[in-house]
This record gives sequence, C-alpha cells and structure tokens, in this order.
Amino acid sequence: MKGLVLALAGMVASTAASAQEAQEVRFISCPVFRDVDNGKRGGCWLSTDPESGIRYDVTNNVYPPDWNHPVLVEGVANGEEQCGGVRLDPVRTSVLPGHCPRHMLPAEGYELERPTLPVRNVRPTSEERTVPDWPLTDRTMSIFFEFDSDFITFYHSDSMVDQMVTWLRAVEPKRIVITGYAVTEPAEVTGQVIAEKPEMAQRRAQLMFEVLRDYGIDPDIIETHWAYNPVAVPDDMWADGLAETSRRRVEISAEF
Amino acid sequence: MKPSMALALLAGSAGLFVATTVNSQDSQESEWWSPGDVHELPAQVDYANDSGVLRVLFTDEEVRTTQNAFFQPIGANGRACVSCHQPSDSMSLSAETARERWDATDGRDPIFAAVDGSNCPSMPQGERASHSLLLDYGLFRIERPWPPRDANGAPVETDFEIEVVRDPWGCNIGDRGPDAGNISVYRRPRPVANMKYLLAIGFPQDPKLGRPVPVDPRTGEPTSGNLLADRRALTLDAQMDDAGAAHLEMARAMTPQQRSEITQFLMSVYAAQQRDASGTELNANGAEGGPQYLADSPAGMLGAYGKRVWSEFEPWEQMSEEQLAELSEEEREYRASVARGARIFRDETFLITDSAGINFPTFGNPFRQACTMCHNMTNMGNDVAPGQIDLGTQNAPFADPAPHLPLFRVTCTGEPHPYYGTEILTHDPGFALTTGRCLDVGKITAQSLRGLAARAPYFSNGSAATLRDVVDFYDRRYNLQYTEQEKIDLVNMMGAL
Repeated sequence: MKGLVLALAGMVASTAASAQEAQEVRFISCPVFRDVDNGKRGGCWLSTDPESGIRYDVTNNVYPPDWNHPVLVEGVANGEEQCGGVRLDPVRTSVLPGHCPRHMLPAEGYELERPTLPVRNVRPTSEERTVPDWPLTDRTMSIFFEFDSDFITFYHSDSMVDQMVTWLRAVEPKRIVITGYAVTEPAEVTGQVIAEKPEMAQRRAQLMFEVLRDYGIDPDIIETHWAYNPVAVPDDMWADGLAETSRRRVEISAEF
Repeated sequence: MKPSMALALLAGSAGLFVATTVNSQDSQESEWWSPGDVHELPAQVDYANDSGVLRVLFTDEEVRTTQNAFFQPIGANGRACVSCHQPSDSMSLSAETARERWDATDGRDPIFAAVDGSNCPSMPQGERASHSLLLDYGLFRIERPWPPRDANGAPVETDFEIEVVRDPWGCNIGDRGPDAGNISVYRRPRPVANMKYLLAIGFPQDPKLGRPVPVDPRTGEPTSGNLLADRRALTLDAQMDDAGAAHLEMARAMTPQQRSEITQFLMSVYAAQQRDASGTELNANGAEGGPQYLADSPAGMLGAYGKRVWSEFEPWEQMSEEQLAELSEEEREYRASVARGARIFRDETFLITDSAGINFPTFGNPFRQACTMCHNMTNMGNDVAPGQIDLGTQNAPFADPAPHLPLFRVTCTGEPHPYYGTEILTHDPGFALTTGRCLDVGKITAQSLRGLAARAPYFSNGSAATLRDVVDFYDRRYNLQYTEQEKIDLVNMMGAL
C-alpha cells in the first residue's frame, strides 16, 4: 500500500481501529468492491458498519460478497488496514437476500499483497494425501458454513472436508454420526432480526452424507441427524476463534 | 483403401501422411473418412486449414479401422463415430466440412440423417433448408428428456418450468417439445482428441458446486465431468451409449467389445495445430506447440499451480538475435504475436460479472481474473474442475441474437437465479437439462481449446463463426476493451493451438 494513500485514507479508520483492536464485529451492510487494478487477481471487498460508520476491509473472507446483495459481516479487527478499511481477519461474509446498489471504487493507489495460495487448499488429485496425525479414538470434526448456506466454501471448508475424508478413509471407523445444525433463534444485527431457516440443519446433514458417500465411504455406517442452536465451538481447530459462526456447522463423529 | 488414400500414403515418408499438400480433387476428398472405409492408421497425419496445418497423432499401432467400432456403421443410419468426429476437423466436424459433404453427396451422406442432422425430422429431408443448422452453423439436434432423467432413468426434480417462445423448426411443439416430454436444442459436436485431458480429474472437489467431483453411478468412481456440454454423460461408456442411441440410431446398446475398441482408439488420438500459415513449426526454437507435446505430457494439471497455460510459446519471447535473424519478418511478427496472445490470455485480467458458476456461488461478484479463470488446464485450456459455467453464450441479455435457434422462457419456481431473477430467456438451458436446477440454466461445459483452427464455428451453439468472433463476443460480454492488436494476438494464439 502506498504510504501517502495510507496516510490519507487511514485517518479516520486507523483511529477507530486502534480503539477496537481484536474486537469481534457483526453487522449487515452493502459490500463495495475496490478494483485493485495492479495485475493481481480478485480485488478488495469493503463494507461499512452502519452503526459505527467504520469501513472495514473484508477481503479475507472465505465466501466473497456479491455487490448486488447485502452481507452479514462477522470478523475480528486487529488494527491493521487494507484497501482503505480496517482489516477484519479472520472474517466471514454471508450473502443475504435483499438489494444493494452496485458500487465499485477504483484502486486509488491501494494494492493487495501478491496473492499466495491459502493455507487451506485442496491439493491436486495427483498428489498423495498425508493422513492427519489424529489419535485413533472417537473423534468429532466440524465443517462450518456461512449464514443460511449449505455450500462448502472454496479454499476453506473444502480443505477441511479433504483432510477429514483422508483420515476417515485411512482409519475406517465402525460408525459415523453426522449432525447438522442451524441457528434458528432470532438475533438482532444492525436493526434487523435474522435467523437461519430450520431446514438448513437437515440440508447440511444431508449434504455431508452425500459428500462422504461420493468419496467412497460406506453409506451403511453413516447415521444422519439434525438439531438446532448448538453451543459455539470457537476453539475448534477450523473455527478460527469466531464464536457465532462456529455454531453454523455439521459435526461428523467417528466411532471405533 | 481408396486409391487416392493409397497414393497419398505412399507419397508420405515414415508413416507421415500429408493429406492436403497435393492439390488434386482426389486428395481433398481423401480427407473425409467415411464409415467402413479401410484406412491404415498412420502414425501422424497433417491437414491444411486457414491458420496452417493441423496434425493428428494416432499413438496406438494396434488400432485397425477395420476392427474398431469407431469407424464402423454400427447403427441404423449408416453413420459411424468418425462421421461426426473427423480427423481433419480435429476430431469434430466443421460447418465447412458439412457443406462440402452436402455438395459431394447431394445431401445423402449419413451425417444428414433426419434424426439429428436435420433441423427437425419432420422437415422435408431432401432440401438444403431442412439441414441449415448443420450446414451453416455445424449444429446437430440434441433431444433431451423433459423433465430431466438421472442415470437410472428416473425423473429429476426441477425448480423451474420451461415454455417455448420461439420454435423455428417445429421440433419443440406438438408431438415434440416440453409438453411431449422432450426438448430439442442444437449443439456442435465436441472434439474427441486429447482424451486423457478431458477425462483427467485435477482435484477431488468441484468448487463451483461445493461438492466432490461427480461420481459415475455405474462404478462409484470419480469423474472429470468434462465430457459433454451439459454433463449428461460422465464416462466414455455413458457417452457411447448416449451417442449410439441418439446419433447412430442403434437398436441395441453398444456391446462391451465395441466400447472397448472405441475407448482404445480415443485414448490414442492427439490433435493440435502443428504449423502456422507461413510454415512456421509451432514447436520450433523451443516452443512446445503441436500434438506430440500433448501426448508426452501429464494431464489434469492446473496452470496456476505449475506450468502456466500457453506458456508453450514463451520460448518465442526469448529468442536470440541469431535465431531471429534466420526468420522472415512475417515469421518474427507472427511468433511475437502468438506469444503476446498467450500472455493476454493468462495475464490480462478483467472483471468477471454475473456469471453463474464463477461469480456464484464461489468467487464473488465481481471477480477480477483472466481467460485462464475457466480455461485453466495446462496444455489444453479446458477446466481442471468440472467446467459448467454460464458465460452468456445462451442466455439473454448476453447472448447474440440467433433467430435460427429455438428460444425458451425458463421460470424459476424456487429460489430465483442470482443474476437473471425469476425469468430467463435461453437458446439452450444447457447443464440445467441435466440437473433440473434454475441456477444451471445456460451453463455449458468449457471444452478443450486445441485444434480450434480446424473446427469452426465456435461455442456450443456455433454462434461464433470465427476466432475473431469469439474474441469480440467476450469483449462485449465483459467489457474487455481489447485493442485491435490485442485481438489479433489472441486470434493468432488460438489459431496456433
């Protein structure tokens, strides 16, 4: 990021950010795309919290926004800036129904770091899988989702699935219990009451059943259940410390 | 063996058969492979086209056309697989070749069979106008069941309704069409060369669907999902069954022996442009054009992870003064243009917007990327992941007007489409005719970009008559604002594939 631009654009945001260092935020607003036109890929995503007026950078999401629709932003501000906003990292963005005016900002001198392969990525089929070094005891693993979604996110949940399946295939558990969850209790966010659709719990469970089956795991050893409003598991190795988002999950329990 | 073919073979050296270097009527006709013809498969065969020369390799010496079902008229209409997958056309069939066959046979070649080589079987078959889609656009009629059926023949639950807005040929009304349990769409035959790339499974998951790659219901094995425009067949066996019934009009399913023979042949065919129009070998001075490189290389590699897409031509950016001095001005300019075109293809980014399969549900809307976003497989330019995407070639408002094609109105009964809303006007619902999902309307599987110069027109609906038309379509669709030189470079590069 160019120093001059950083200084100009950061005046408001950096003050606010320093006061909110490591603070988890949750709000709904329209996303804005910044066309970082420096030959890199993707672009920046920004979104302003309507209650605080702080513009956040949400580029490090795992499910990118759509400039036609509002997003539910859930993330942690750590005081850094990116693309003209307070950087949220980790951050999740969930596309919500509703309409937003498309808005795109020019690069204005902002740059993203040269893109590198995310740590969580699915390796090519041609590469041999390394079986995770997890103990051979009953184990529950979680796959997380965006709000009201049963989509397995690219460069994130897909990597979790890949590791989990690699392990399950190697250790051959006696039974696998899948439990899909949805957070159906209403919550007020930015003046709006939101809740996941109840059927999302079953859809997540069914999806995971089909995923395991398609990966060649014997469907006869799989049980499928669904439930609502689970406790948060922010300490799960794949939850990135985010509490509320960790409630939107499927649990896969391997029993020996 | 036909006399002209025998002469041509004798004229070649060490198995090299150059079909069009002799400008006689006989040699031109010898380009056409008719069902049941006796051919000695050469190790390689060259065919001239407007961009230079296409080379086809046959790498399995044990394949005999007399003993392989690919070349035999095994159905009721006299066609063989080779009828619509001609070596001279990079194992597809160009509209120009179809016109030549019409003229040569007075419309009696089996490729003009009423079932799909005419605009509709109900039309008078002796008239050229009844075959205008094949003759002018290289299109065959594809009749899909409605509602869609799964691999076991069971109806697929749909979240959209479909009605016919325009039916120029009468194949979507009355006793045909959605009300009669089927839908006729019109598509180009996909090239069946370089098959290992089309079957390669680059990754275990499909990022566009957020699921594992599709599994073959017969074997439980993963598949590439890249064989057909609408992904209705996941394996070569399934594709052969589909084509045998629909295109060859076989009364019974292919036998395992026939499938085995065809598979053996298909896995041994490689096709790519070998020479440009000035005679430059596309693998000269360290470049890696031509089919031999494809035959020798591994398939299924993502360009972003390893060998970058179309980096085959990078050596032409690094030629020494001595090497350049040996070239004519025309050759120097051509090579520089191809190399620039390759870089534009993979490095010049643009905003991809409102394209289901890209922007939704995976990468966000908009998303800045290059042509290699979708054409991402090293050496081949098809999609490493199953390549079902909506680039606007079929759906309004992005598709070019095509009054010769049917037009359907799709009404989404569940969730609206993320970009079109509740109603979609489309020439071909594409992948949605397999999945039954409104979200998939207009999605077409990205295909190999090899041998393009030999198989115009382009896009699954033949809407781009030339490679320049392809570039111009994308220029309009995504507001690329290419310069004239950039367009020329892209066309030269694509013509060199």
